[in-house]
Amino acid sequence: MNVALGGLLTALVTGGLSALAGLLFPTPRRATVVGIGTAATGVAAVAAGVAAMAGQPAVVALPQLLPLAGLLFTLDPLGGVFVAVTGAVAVAVGIYGIGYARHGLRGRSFQAVLPLFVLSMVLVPAAASVGTLLLCWELMALTSLLLVLAEHRRRPQVASAGRWYAVMTHLGLVVILIGLLVFAANAADGSFAALRAAGPTVSPLVAGLVFVLTGIGFGSKAGIIPLHAWLPRAHPEAPSNVSALMSAAMVNLGAYGIVRIGFDLLGGGPGWWWLLLLGLGAASAIYGILLAAISTDLKRLLGYSTTENMGLVLVGVGASGLFAASGESTLAGLAMAAALLHVITHAAFKTLLFQSAGSVLAATGRRDLDDLGGLRTGMPFTTAAFGLGALAASALPPGAAFVSEWLLLQALIHGLPASGLSAAIVMPLAVAAVALTAGLAVVTFVKAFGIGFLAKPRSPEAAAARESPASMLTGMGLAGAACVGLALLPTVILPGIGAVAAGVVGSGNPVVVDAVTIRLADVAGSLSPLLLALALTVALVAALAAARAVATRRATAIDARLWDCGGGPLSARMEYTATSFAEPLQRVFDDVLSAEQDVDVTHVEESRYLVQTIDYRRRVPDRIERRLYQPVLAALAGWGRVGRRLAPGSVHRYLGYGFYSLCAMLILLVVTR
Amino acid sequence: MTVFGVVGVVIQLVIVVALAPLLTGMMRQIRAAMEGRAGAGIGQPWRDLRKLMRKQPIHPRGTSVVFRVAPLVLIATCLVVAAAAPFVTTASLLDPIADLFAVVALLTLGTVALALAGIDTGTAFGGMGASRETTIVALVEPTLLVAIFALSVPVGSTNLGAIVTAGLEHPASVFSPVSLLAAVALVVVIIAETGRLPVDNPSTHLELTMVHEAMVLEYAGPDLAIIELASSMRLVVFLGLLANLFVPWGIATSGQPVLIAVGVAVFVAKVALLGGALAVGEVFMAKLRLFRVPELLAGSFVLGLLAVAASFVLA
Amino acid sequence: MSATLSAQLLNIAAGAFLFTAVLILWRRELASIIDIFALQGVALAAMVAIIAADEGSVEFLLVAVGVLVVRSGVLPWLLRRALSHAGATRRETRPLVNVVTSLLVAAGLTLLAYAVSQPLVALDPSPAAHAIPVAMAVVLIGFFVLVTRRLALSQLVGFLLLDNGITAVGFLSTAGVSLIVELGVTLDVLLVVLVLQVLKTRIREVFGDTDLDELRELHD
Repeated sequence: MNVALGGLLTALVTGGLSALAGLLFPTPRRATVVGIGTAATGVAAVAAGVAAMAGQPAVVALPQLLPLAGLLFTLDPLGGVFVAVTGAVAVAVGIYGIGYARHGLRGRSFQAVLPLFVLSMVLVPAAASVGTLLLCWELMALTSLLLVLAEHRRRPQVASAGRWYAVMTHLGLVVILIGLLVFAANAADGSFAALRAAGPTVSPLVAGLVFVLTGIGFGSKAGIIPLHAWLPRAHPEAPSNVSALMSAAMVNLGAYGIVRIGFDLLGGGPGWWWLLLLGLGAASAIYGILLAAISTDLKRLLGYSTTENMGLVLVGVGASGLFAASGESTLAGLAMAAALLHVITHAAFKTLLFQSAGSVLAATGRRDLDDLGGLRTGMPFTTAAFGLGALAASALPPGAAFVSEWLLLQALIHGLPASGLSAAIVMPLAVAAVALTAGLAVVTFVKAFGIGFLAKPRSPEAAAARESPASMLTGMGLAGAACVGLALLPTVILPGIGAVAAGVVGSGNPVVVDAVTIRLADVAGSLSPLLLALALTVALVAALAAARAVATRRATAIDARLWDCGGGPLSARMEYTATSFAEPLQRVFDDVLSAEQDVDVTHVEESRYLVQTIDYRRRVPDRIERRLYQPVLAALAGWGRVGRRLAPGSVHRYLGYGFYSLCAMLILLVVTR
Repeated sequence: MTVFGVVGVVIQLVIVVALAPLLTGMMRQIRAAMEGRAGAGIGQPWRDLRKLMRKQPIHPRGTSVVFRVAPLVLIATCLVVAAAAPFVTTASLLDPIADLFAVVALLTLGTVALALAGIDTGTAFGGMGASRETTIVALVEPTLLVAIFALSVPVGSTNLGAIVTAGLEHPASVFSPVSLLAAVALVVVIIAETGRLPVDNPSTHLELTMVHEAMVLEYAGPDLAIIELASSMRLVVFLGLLANLFVPWGIATSGQPVLIAVGVAVFVAKVALLGGALAVGEVFMAKLRLFRVPELLAGSFVLGLLAVAASFVLA
Repeated sequence: MSATLSAQLLNIAAGAFLFTAVLILWRRELASIIDIFALQGVALAAMVAIIAADEGSVEFLLVAVGVLVVRSGVLPWLLRRALSHAGATRRETRPLVNVVTSLLVAAGLTLLAYAVSQPLVALDPSPAAHAIPVAMAVVLIGFFVLVTRRLALSQLVGFLLLDNGITAVGFLSTAGVSLIVELGVTLDVLLVVLVLQVLKTRIREVFGDTDLDELRELHD
């Protein structure tokens, strides 16, 4: 019984007990107990994950539980990374959920299912056979669906969002099922060990088919275009702690699936796989952040940002595969390490951002940025938390995601000289895509933070907002501490991440660290995030001191009116809104976005030269949905109308259908034998 | 952590801080001379800074700590970049952060701080300036990073010291198509990032034509002095990077006082030359309409891509 | 008992099994249909008992007794109770397919069952296996009854015929389905009968008739 195995089993037990507590405890203390239980599950999962990353094996085999093959769990270093991430997110969200549940989420169904969701997410990376993986995957999908639908009695849009989510996640499951079954049919049995052994020997056609099918299913879960439509629907409508879990822990498992099957089980593949992955990842990154930049709903913005970050992760995975396919194993390890680090940093800041958004939603009841603003006076801690998360999300130093993007860019840049013609075309475009994404992320998060939290409140609810209770603040504090730690001292976890990445692609450790500096092995590049933050702080203090010293009038500052062109005091209606902030960007990208505008002008009765009201409405539909989903849905509806003719209402007719088809099948059987 | 490193950092900081307003003054004087005006003299920006520092600090009603801290963050980022980048010497004390990506990201951080301050004022002008400035920053990023990519390919690293040293050792690489294309792309980037014509007019007084000025409209007194100084420093930093990445000769490679003096003089001369060329160009250009700016930036992006392609073909 | 004797007895029981199924198709009165169904239960129990005697297994004998009790005793009793509550209509009112055609179809289904079951018989040519096609035929005939009768009660009989046939196939092919599965299936069938009984009463209360062909509301 080593730490990994112990942690896994403890997580299982605490998760189950928390779910039971959610069912049995009375309402006053239910949320507290479940929250603490979820956090305990998270701690155990982190311990198990970190121990697995360090190389301790953990195997749990339960052959009697499922009819055909039983359940088989094996925790290896790659799975350990994702288990640790899930656990860390669960700790923060569990504590946060204690206070958040006050807003109508204390029911038995919600509180009992939440620990089960966390547990299923912990088990998926540990699954070691096809049946186990699919079972845990489906459990994860079902529990998350129940949690997304938690507030459906209060808002009708939740039901529609739940439907989209249910259909898409189950279609993804079916596609993954088919892919894995095709793979298992070409191997000895369904366990991952057998698949790994058979991986190098399957024909390229079968391998390509398996990769594409599982890539579609896992990519849809990660929110990659064009199968991302569930993400911006489910995340806003779900309760904020569930959104945080989904965005920071569940979508990672899509990336995990692709890495597991592409690198581990199939043993790498030809270049076109990875080019496809890289292309889709880059396109998702740009499209996701573009839609986030023009989105005014705070949680939808964060959901689209998840698509962007998962796209960047897949860029790293794709680059890694491309390098591995052309023999550059150190670069492949570097790209994979960048992707894994980005998964971790994204989990940290996305948790923080969703927790802050949930805090705002709980305090004001509003999600629309155009109705918020001025929250820094009433909710200073939440504002600071969101600011920290926004700094991290926009990939600026000293933020957390700056280090992972730096690593990713270093991997892409060093790939040029040796890797062939396709790399010569792809790498510059990939760098340009990452750069555009970074720039757009700056716009998005300046908008979200500035419009949402600074300046004057745009609605009475925003003006009346008060800070959240202590448990929510503690949860945000935990996530914030993780962000700060990752920003200043990534050198603590990078050797471990590098070792895991090296294990996946089969090379030496691509990063070498001393106390504060990250150095890359075999290629030239180094960065010290701590030194950067220190230099900034020193410069800030020096500038402040110099300014104080030089300024001669030491008198206290006077208050002054803002410049209003002499037209009288400014009201909150005159501020820039989120829509107007993003308008130049929307105009620049109008070909991609094709916004629809309605302007209604009502004139004063006495004179047509004077305007009484102007009604401005702008919709930016998701173009991929318009072009791809709507025709498919229309075709399905048409098919359904045709099928209606088969159902005239007579019970005998329906029974007859069954009987005739049975007889026809039997006759067919006889004739074809 | 050598004495050479410490001395170099201190000298660089002093030079950049002292000479930045003089550069701005020189550029304005060149414009005045070409436009037939007498001009205010090279030292006018310093006199303006002195005047502003003597004024009473003002806090606009309704702004918060973000508004008060933003100028400090802006100048702090400029100071860090001025200390880390190889302007006078190649051995920087802050070599672990002298990475081109890190430097570019730090300068963007300064812009972001200012944009947040603009939004924090709650006026339409502040929001407008922030909106336009961040849009331009977003569109400039791809060109910037691709140009850095092109610069790093011959050297195999994005460390500033390494690139400058490689330029010193292989003078012929300066005149390769890669460098020329990357240089042109970077010139456009610098114009966009520092808010010069044709992207933004730094001396306009019409609010609707402002980009950078709109964000800082509410600042007065010592805060405005810090922002003006920081803007001048940004220009010096960008021009210094452009000069030393492409034409690095004259930079001091060891700690001898003579070499350092030569390095200072060469650096001042290069920046003055580039600043003067920029000022002359500005006289003949009008400000572009905001929605024409993406076309300009797209053109520079294509140049940057060609630079990378050329570096692969010629490698 | 000797092999040939048990084989002959098994064939007789199987024959009776099929004959009762065809009789259900032929007769119109609901009361006589229920009696014939009870007889079929006896034939099924006999088949199981013969296999039990062959194997010398006490467990199978107990199963045979259980089958006798449930399928010859309990189920027909429930059906008769439902019939007594039904009232007027004791005859089947014009089945969807007339009797002559039904019998011809039954013959065709028997042939189909024989054709389909050939591989099963060829797998293990024991006397029990030779009776599998008969059981298959009863399955198909039961399904046919379910599809073509109008009254809810006769449809129920068809469903039970189906289940009898499936049970028979199970016992004959593997010489015994696992006891627990058989128990579960029997309980299931019991539950279905009870539910359908209640449903039939409700249908009659609301619509006044249990002629299912009159109900045409079950569509979009």
